[in-house]
Amino acid sequence: MANIISASHLTLAYDKSDKEIIKNANFKIKKGDFVFITGPSGSGKSTLLRSFYGQLVPKDGNLLVGGQDMNRVSTKKLQELRTHFGIIFQDYKLINEWSVAKNVVLPLIIAGYSADVQETQAKRLLKHVKLSEYADRMPLELSGGEQQRIGVARALSKNPTLILADEPTGNLDEYSSNVIWDLMENACEQLDATVVVVTHRIPTIFSIPYRHLIIENRGIYEVH
Amino acid sequence: MKYIRDHVMFIFSLLAILLGIESFLVFDRLTKNYEQDLKADYSMLILANKSMTLSELKQINFNISAIDIIKKQAIVDEMAEGMSDTSADDIMNALPFFYTVRFGSYLDNSALEQIKEQLIASEDIKKVETFGKNHNSNYNLFVFIKIVLWTFVTFMSLTSIFLVIKQMEIWQFAHRERMQVMEIFGASTMLRSGILFKRAIADALIATVITSGLFIFLRFVWVKTSNIEILVNKQELLFEYKDIAILGGISLLIVIVAVIVVVVSSKENKL
Repeated sequence: MANIISASHLTLAYDKSDKEIIKNANFKIKKGDFVFITGPSGSGKSTLLRSFYGQLVPKDGNLLVGGQDMNRVSTKKLQELRTHFGIIFQDYKLINEWSVAKNVVLPLIIAGYSADVQETQAKRLLKHVKLSEYADRMPLELSGGEQQRIGVARALSKNPTLILADEPTGNLDEYSSNVIWDLMENACEQLDATVVVVTHRIPTIFSIPYRHLIIENRGIYEVH
Repeated sequence: MKYIRDHVMFIFSLLAILLGIESFLVFDRLTKNYEQDLKADYSMLILANKSMTLSELKQINFNISAIDIIKKQAIVDEMAEGMSDTSADDIMNALPFFYTVRFGSYLDNSALEQIKEQLIASEDIKKVETFGKNHNSNYNLFVFIKIVLWTFVTFMSLTSIFLVIKQMEIWQFAHRERMQVMEIFGASTMLRSGILFKRAIADALIATVITSGLFIFLRFVWVKTSNIEILVNKQELLFEYKDIAILGGISLLIVIVAVIVVVVSSKENKL
């Protein structure tokens, strides 16, 4: 299987400081992998994830994502690369001025799909996340769990090859968390997408095989 | 209400620019019209030893655009009343050739003096006389006001453009989260800035309509009651319909450039 993400001697630092938060890390994530990245608060989990979608340039070492060298990727290439990603945030990051349906199809809007395709896909995805009746509502009218399901639907709308999730259940109750985990398992299986989830805690019940990377003392290690 | 609050500063800044530009356009038209009147009022009479053509006079000074021959016969007829035909012929032969000279553009006093000197310097020309009202001080005042207005409009426009850009940055800040999210999902700079373009273009059109409306009102309503003779007689100069296109074009250009400047100068936003 081809590597979707490949890090070699990767060193990351916070944006405005030289303080290295990840140092000399080596790991590979293959196509179709479901990977949990855990670690204590402030260990650099979210920072690592941001480097995957190009919001943080490595301080040192190499990071290849989708075949692109993240040290040298051009703005245009990065934009193109990001259209193949589905990104899920802990605080949902929905566009509050847009309806739920429009939020779901944001990646399709960006890719220039027709209104018909957008509408069909919005209906399908909202049904998939069991929120069909909320299509015309605004995000702030929904509960946290519902907003996160919209966030997941948005991430899946363009059949991404790589799904990156930053603490997707961090703000949710147990029921909502289980719904989100189910959706992500399905995405990995049905779309054959690679899923990388940064989380504090791996769910106790998880039905598909997964890998576990842990960040400790600025290093990244695989837990077997 | 929220829309008005969000847009009022932007529209006011654009209005300052457009009102300045339209005022300048009006004043420019008034000045040009005044020049035309002065030009029509002014003429130069030449007394020449021989028959002369326009091209010969143009060689002396290129500003000469037309000549009218003043027929000598009428003068001779008046002078030779009761005289013999031979005497009349002698008078006719003794009289020089008379020409009225006109110019292609408005010339100030010093330029006219220079032309006069050049004409007199020609051995074919005996005398040069000028006829016309002396509007030079009025004209100079017009030119002075035009320069002052232009300077004022330029500085006001620069200040207003900074305000437009500032307001654009406020909008960008207000919509930063939306733009950040779009950016993370791979939207191009232009696509994620669509909201800024839409708002800015809408406001540019509003400012154009307000400015045009104001000057249409001045031309068709206010001027009739103003008792300002020069404006009453020249009310068509207060607003021309092509001004709508000029104002619209300028305001759209300003806001589009402002959006591009703000968008391009902003670095990638971090979520």
